[in-house]
Amino acid sequence: MAGPGNRTGEPGAISLLLVDDEASLREPLADYLIRQGFAVMQAHDAAKARALLIETMPDLVLLDIMMPGEDGLSLCRHLIESKNLPVIFLTARGEATDRIVGLEIGADDYVVKPFEPRELVARIRSVLRRAARAPSAPQQDALYEFEGWQLDPLKRKLTDPEATVVPISSAEYRLLRAFLDHPRQVLDRDRLLDMVQGREAHLFDRAVDNQVSRLRRKLEDDSRAAKLIQTVWGGGYRLAADVRRLSPTPDTGA
Amino acid sequence: MRDLLPKSLLGQMLLSVAFALLVAQTLSAVLLYRAEEQRREAGLINALAFQLVADPRLDYRGFAHEGDGADSPGRGWRRLRIERALASPIVHGELRDAGREEELREVLAEQGIATAELVVLSRPIHSDAFIMRGLRGRPRWRGEGRWDPRGEMLVAGLRREGEEQWHVARQPLPGDMPRALGSLIFQTLVLYVVLVGGLAVLLRRITRPLAALKARVEQFAETRATDGQIEPTGPADMRRLIAAHNAMEARIAALIDEKDVMLGAIGHDLKTPLAALRVRIESVEDEVERARMAASIEDITRSLDDILSLARVGRPTDPLERTELAALVASVVEEYEDMGEPVELAETQRIATPLRATWMRRALRNLVGNALRYGGSAKVSVLREPGAEGNGWALVRIEDEGPGIADAEIVHMLEPFVRGEASRNRETGGAGLGLTLARAIAEQHGGTLLLANRRGAGGKIAGLVAELRLPLPR
Repeated sequence: MAGPGNRTGEPGAISLLLVDDEASLREPLADYLIRQGFAVMQAHDAAKARALLIETMPDLVLLDIMMPGEDGLSLCRHLIESKNLPVIFLTARGEATDRIVGLEIGADDYVVKPFEPRELVARIRSVLRRAARAPSAPQQDALYEFEGWQLDPLKRKLTDPEATVVPISSAEYRLLRAFLDHPRQVLDRDRLLDMVQGREAHLFDRAVDNQVSRLRRKLEDDSRAAKLIQTVWGGGYRLAADVRRLSPTPDTGA
Repeated sequence: MRDLLPKSLLGQMLLSVAFALLVAQTLSAVLLYRAEEQRREAGLINALAFQLVADPRLDYRGFAHEGDGADSPGRGWRRLRIERALASPIVHGELRDAGREEELREVLAEQGIATAELVVLSRPIHSDAFIMRGLRGRPRWRGEGRWDPRGEMLVAGLRREGEEQWHVARQPLPGDMPRALGSLIFQTLVLYVVLVGGLAVLLRRITRPLAALKARVEQFAETRATDGQIEPTGPADMRRLIAAHNAMEARIAALIDEKDVMLGAIGHDLKTPLAALRVRIESVEDEVERARMAASIEDITRSLDDILSLARVGRPTDPLERTELAALVASVVEEYEDMGEPVELAETQRIATPLRATWMRRALRNLVGNALRYGGSAKVSVLREPGAEGNGWALVRIEDEGPGIADAEIVHMLEPFVRGEASRNRETGGAGLGLTLARAIAEQHGGTLLLANRRGAGGKIAGLVAELRLPLPR
């Protein structure tokens, strides 16, 4: 191959920049994404990526972390600070701290190699949807606080009033996030399903009620008289608490 | 008794030196005391003999005029001591001192005195009429202190061959404790202060760096990081030991770093082609075939993750965080629930304890996954268990209803690459590291993992139970 460059899909398609030094992965992945209807540019290192970005602006960047020369983390900082581009990391390192580092410097999501290509597509769409919905990035990282509980959207970490971490699944996280973004509003099941829709489609075949009851259990809500998440007669739920947004943790580079 | 002995090197050495010193001093005290005793005894006997031998025959003449011979102290002294009597000085009820009699007899024989009768005995000074009379007559004697009426005295009576008259000599017995013993005790005390004190200072120079080294080894065993190494101090041997230890630490740390780099490289180099493969199989038309390929890749990935995790489990990079264990267990159970697996969350208690959620989640997944794979179902409970020292344990129990494991095999199940009934379950995947990793994660948290067969009524195996215990703080 003479050199990675532009490959267009259908006109008006979502354009992606794929940066990975491994041609054996980059090329078949680009082919796959084109088949899925994306327009894909390829770069084998950070320098090439920077050069491509002068000419055109993609909608989203897929970025390998470990590359010779400038690494993915450094390029990511540049992309977010000066271009305000959404970034998804492709990483071979699955350790939790590596993921957090990627998210902390402002990446929108990460995918651990080897990934399911369909999952990657789902994540691309999800990130773009979020980027379209919430243009103000800093607000995204702000902590939610309600009734002494805190939710860190970056680390997806829920802590109780005694600062104990209460682990929740990603479905529960999205559900809680939906409630926190719409405090004291009645959300019916269809709306909740719509808002928490994510990559793990199979989760949402299950009744929303089941997810809500799990979330209540995590919030110690099932034993309380005045419930945090109230069932509204006629089909729906409501968060019966005020929500504050706290400024993001100081170490978050945004 | 054993508990009273000092445990430290310093204490033990000081104790043994003090003990050795005590034994040596006691021995020399006994020897000295006995020599002193002998000297004193010989002195007594000689004094008595001298009086009896030196008694001038001339004094026979003066015997009748005892009262007016008092002008000369020398004569008076002799006169008082030497009593001439017509009978043996022994009074009824007094015991003869056969040992001293024998000694005195020998001394006298050496002087050429032929003994007809000899009596030696001891009596309290105040009951001796002769001395008491003399004391009353010459109060100055009392000042000399030799004749203290409270003391004891020796009385020796001698009748020479061919004489009717007895000569009686008297000698006070000195007090019990020889002066040498007092000085010996003083000497011992000085020795103790000088020797034991000096030794303590010297030993501290050795044991202080040793204690620092011990603390350092413990710290290194825990962190495996070379920062905070100790400076070589103390005697030359200690310095060399510390320097050698520091070098060894550096070597171990370098090896561990190499291992981490190598594993990172392996992970990267294997996962990228796997990712490429995973993308490529999307173009396989046959859906069944594609699903099988995807499953194989997933298997390889899982084994690779297990191997990498097992290699890293001893050096976790993420910190301990106070976490609600029951919620963590519930979220793992719910994952399996969502996949339609027969998993049940039984009794749970809310327990907040410091842990590494990503690692613990992995251990729980392995245990629940195993129960489902080999036991057909899983029942999970979270309980608080009181401990012996009051802190207690958080206990996660995972029960299945499978065939269990033969008792002989059960201990091997936690070893790496061992699979239950390997041949039959080969296709169920995994590198056989699941339980090993779960145990390593439990140990990373200071806890334990136990496997046991669950016995039903009649002792038949009703299934397997895995018990994961984590220590609770405070």
